[in-house]
Amino acid sequence: MEFFLEQLLNGLVYGSLLFLTAAGLSLIFGLMNVVSLAHGSFFMLGGYVGFALFRLTHSFWLAFVLAPVPITLIGIAMEMVFLRPLYRRGHLDQVLLTFGFTFIFFDTVQTIWGRDVHALPPPPGLDGIVELGSAIFSSYRLFIIATGIAIAVLLWLFLERSRVGAMVRAGVDDAAMAGGLGCNIPALFSAIFGAGVALAALGGVAAGPIFGMYPGEDTEILIPAFIVIVVGGMGSLRGAFIGSLLIGEADTFGKAYLPGLALFLIYLVTAVVLLARPQGLFGIKYAAAGPPPGGAPEIPLQSRGAVLIALATVAALTVYPFIVADYHRALVTELFIFGIFAISLDLLLGYTGLMSLGHAGFFGLGAYVVIVLGSLFGLNAWIGVALGIAAAALAALIIGYFSVRTSGIPFLMLTLAFSQLIYTVALKWRDVTGGSDGIGIPEKPTFFGFDLAHSLPMYFVGLIFFLLCFTALRRLVASPLGRIFVGIRENEARMLAIGYATRRYKLASFTIGGAFAGLAGGLYAIFNGFISPDAVYWSASGDILIMVMLGGAGTLIGPVFGSAAFLLMKNLVSSYSDHWLLIIGVIFVACVLFFPGGIWSIFRYARFSVRVGAKA
Amino acid sequence: MTVLQLEDLYCAFGSLIVTKNISLAIKRGERHCIIGPNGAGKTSLLNQIGGQLRPNAGHILVEGTEITHWPPNRIAQAGVARTFQRNNLFFNLSVLENLQLAVAARRSLPWNFWTVADRIRPIINHAGTLLARVQITGDPRRLVRNLSYGEQRQLEIGLALAADPILLLLDEPTSGMSPAETDRMMTLIASLPRTLTVLMIEHDMNVVFTVADRITVLHYGEVLASGPPDAIRAESRVREVYLGTRH
Repeated sequence: MEFFLEQLLNGLVYGSLLFLTAAGLSLIFGLMNVVSLAHGSFFMLGGYVGFALFRLTHSFWLAFVLAPVPITLIGIAMEMVFLRPLYRRGHLDQVLLTFGFTFIFFDTVQTIWGRDVHALPPPPGLDGIVELGSAIFSSYRLFIIATGIAIAVLLWLFLERSRVGAMVRAGVDDAAMAGGLGCNIPALFSAIFGAGVALAALGGVAAGPIFGMYPGEDTEILIPAFIVIVVGGMGSLRGAFIGSLLIGEADTFGKAYLPGLALFLIYLVTAVVLLARPQGLFGIKYAAAGPPPGGAPEIPLQSRGAVLIALATVAALTVYPFIVADYHRALVTELFIFGIFAISLDLLLGYTGLMSLGHAGFFGLGAYVVIVLGSLFGLNAWIGVALGIAAAALAALIIGYFSVRTSGIPFLMLTLAFSQLIYTVALKWRDVTGGSDGIGIPEKPTFFGFDLAHSLPMYFVGLIFFLLCFTALRRLVASPLGRIFVGIRENEARMLAIGYATRRYKLASFTIGGAFAGLAGGLYAIFNGFISPDAVYWSASGDILIMVMLGGAGTLIGPVFGSAAFLLMKNLVSSYSDHWLLIIGVIFVACVLFFPGGIWSIFRYARFSVRVGAKA
Repeated sequence: MTVLQLEDLYCAFGSLIVTKNISLAIKRGERHCIIGPNGAGKTSLLNQIGGQLRPNAGHILVEGTEITHWPPNRIAQAGVARTFQRNNLFFNLSVLENLQLAVAARRSLPWNFWTVADRIRPIINHAGTLLARVQITGDPRRLVRNLSYGEQRQLEIGLALAADPILLLLDEPTSGMSPAETDRMMTLIASLPRTLTVLMIEHDMNVVFTVADRITVLHYGEVLASGPPDAIRAESRVREVYLGTRH
């Protein structure tokens, strides 16, 4: 009984911390239609700045009160300078922008405070214990619960009773209309963004004495906060509150009573809620905002010039490996494999309008199947690749079955959360996956007698598979099924009205994309000979999303260039600087701000202006 | 034969009742117009028939089959097609691609992932016929967002006709149109085959009294009057609703 009570209270503690993070996220989304991936970073920054202030002042309370201040200012500055120009664009640009910032914040934290875990001592007076009957609780934990509840009540009073709160509610309902009625919408946006950041930062300091501070804490709070919002319902304070308690308790009790299955428990809760109420417990059904900017009409490969260029490119790629050394062969082989990975995501993102932030999960699954089956049972790697494709497709089918019930940002959050599940399995199932150390392939296979341990045959395996996949997906997007995908991207409601069961087709697209990602992963396993959970981590999903966006979503060929540019850049930067995360983050932000259509659009404009120039 | 039958249809958003026990029967080939002031629940009624909105109670039958609570795609497959009050098209696709999608919806091609869509002759031909039928001229490879507003309205009808429906629901086909465009739309509606049943919401009384075989007047979610045009014209309560009581 004591144990039960203790878990119940621990669940409330975790729930309170989740609420502090999720409440801001939810309000920001409800009001501004922006999802900030940097929200977890603000939580982490809160902890670290609190820690620094504590070392400076030796007062927990000063740190607790003051730490959110500078972080809030950073948040408001980020909103005003970087997010504001993006409100007219799609969700995806905003997501990518804040994703870039997570890199910048992560690198900053690591540079200033190092990789070690730091701890904040609980304040004097709250470092003791409280006895309730026969159960014993830390008084600091009770303080966190009280803080969570107090903030919830204050927020509720603010929203329901104050003038500004009324404006916020009006803005959540219809920001344009509220603006027309005289609300200062830009100021309101900044204020709410700042308030959300402040709450997250406060949560970060409050968590200090319990979890400590460490790089990676940002993700560990962000993912469950996303789940809370999906479960509770977007834009609903009540949803964020109930959702936080539900997920906090589910996670805590799961860890206490079903340690092996704890992880799955919150996903189970999420799945059940979504099956019953796709909009979340307290969410109102909102019209999904427009699809990502996506596919401008592409240049048909049938035109003679394009065919010539394609043939010349293939010829050049065939000659290339004979004139360069191992290192450069391997580099381009990697580009082929990531090219497959990128076009598999483009099918979802660019052609079907499904913003998946969990695509690396399928890639990783394909890779793990090859290596794990190879090392455990000595299975031939090519059979492993086939099984990896099947496993990735099956996983995509299951994850997609739940995810396609939502769209837009909730879809993004769900795919992210599910892929973190794959990541966690890879991390925790040490006996099979080697845990965080990763796992290596016992022996590289052959390909029609050629030993793939050598870079030359491996190069051609990459090239052949890339050309096959590219051709297959090109045909797919030009087929009636592909047209249906595009129709869904453009206008799902109308697709329903003319008789398409859109959910089924979205699931099909998700599964096909997952299968191709699984193939890319399998090839990567053979190529690299090694896989670790890093390849499945959500930032890997973010990387591939950036590659697709960088190249130009909805063009197939664009993402190939995008992935090549990204990988070459990463290669170059990381060989010169330890701060490549920071630099990559800055490049992301710059790309989102200055190249909204991706690299391919620059080519297209160039072509267009050449043509126009020729006519003039 | 009755194509569409509504029985005690009831729908409310919270305490706001948008459809209050509406019963209606529409015969094959009938041109039935729904009129009524703003907020009378006309579009909500259409949305319930099309499956975009779920009624709280009552029944909707199409050719005797109950379709209440079916999802929109299934209702469309059953032969009920609709247009929208605000153009609801695939704006970034070409005119032809819009029609191809709509034509393919009721053929057994959806899972074809290998043939090039632009080379499937029957569908292209069908799309071409529709293009002529809704009188859209010019390059069919133009993007829909570059069409004039009137042409987009015509394409709305083209998408709906693509599935060879038995019942066509039109939500204010002439809204926002110039007089010339309205005339063209009226000709288009008049040219629809008499085997097709049309249920249409319309504000332009000229159009209504030209096209309609029967008219239903809605007011605050209720049927105020229903009958042939002459009877509606003579109905005093309709005049009150539309013109206010004369002093």
